[in-house]
Amino acid sequence: MVAKEIEAKKDANKKTQCTEPSVVRRYSPAVDIFEEPDAMVLVADVPGATPDGVDIQFERGNLTIEAAVRPRREDARTRYLLREYGVGNYRRTFEVNEQVDVSKITAKLENGVLTITMPKAEAVRPKKIAVKGM
Amino acid sequence: MEAFDMNLIPWKTKREERGLSRPEFSLARLRSEMDNLFDRMIRDPFGAAFGDETGTELSWGPQIDLAESEKDVTVTAELPGVDPKDVEIKVTDNVLTISGEKRHEREEKKRDYHYIERQHGAFHRSVALPSSVDSEKVDATFKNGVLTITLSKRPDAQARRITIKQG
Repeated sequence: MVAKEIEAKKDANKKTQCTEPSVVRRYSPAVDIFEEPDAMVLVADVPGATPDGVDIQFERGNLTIEAAVRPRREDARTRYLLREYGVGNYRRTFEVNEQVDVSKITAKLENGVLTITMPKAEAVRPKKIAVKGM
Repeated sequence: MEAFDMNLIPWKTKREERGLSRPEFSLARLRSEMDNLFDRMIRDPFGAAFGDETGTELSWGPQIDLAESEKDVTVTAELPGVDPKDVEIKVTDNVLTISGEKRHEREEKKRDYHYIERQHGAFHRSVALPSSVDSEKVDATFKNGVLTITLSKRPDAQARRITIKQG
């Protein structure tokens, strides 16, 4: 396992209904993590997040992603009949055991999906070794 | 009962069909489905009478919020990564149906996955609307992965204040 989650799941992984609208809840986003020959890629679902609310930190092999989401519309005239998903900020931390070139990490946010590309350090990229004939 | 049994079979993804499946992924999916079902039962034990009547709870369908104000009904759904062009919205007999497909990014590539938690593939969700809406006056926007559908109520369905006459 090259990337694994290290933060205890104290925030329930599942979104639950917001019973107290004034409290901004924190959610653990669903992620896909995959490895390409020259990079590790993390894709996280953060619906409702905007680029200015996203905070990505990479420190001593720990990647932390945070994304702020504005709370639901709350006013006296609006009556909720169904509230199946929670609205709140996202946060999750992973330990990346692969050697990553930190200066080349890139991130983009599109349609509520955050994609972080972590290029592998030169030393661990696969190299093709040419075999010389005698 | 037969239909219910069918639903307990973990949903098969294209990824699994391609042989990239790992046992923990299908287990994780089944667990999340069970959690989901359990949550719904606790939250809304009479949900079937009000919400999803299609019996598709165990397959992938977005969770929704349904809010009502004096003039309109708003339905929001989290659909991160879905292309708005792939979403179909229908209103028939006061039932709103959201369906479509979430395409897998760069699907052709075989990759070494460490985590697969995000949903992919076809989705479908129906919900009964609370009061008479004008199916001609429906507005849908998609922003930051959140779909918002606003349905105007018909004038006769809008709340009216009744004044009590002095006798």
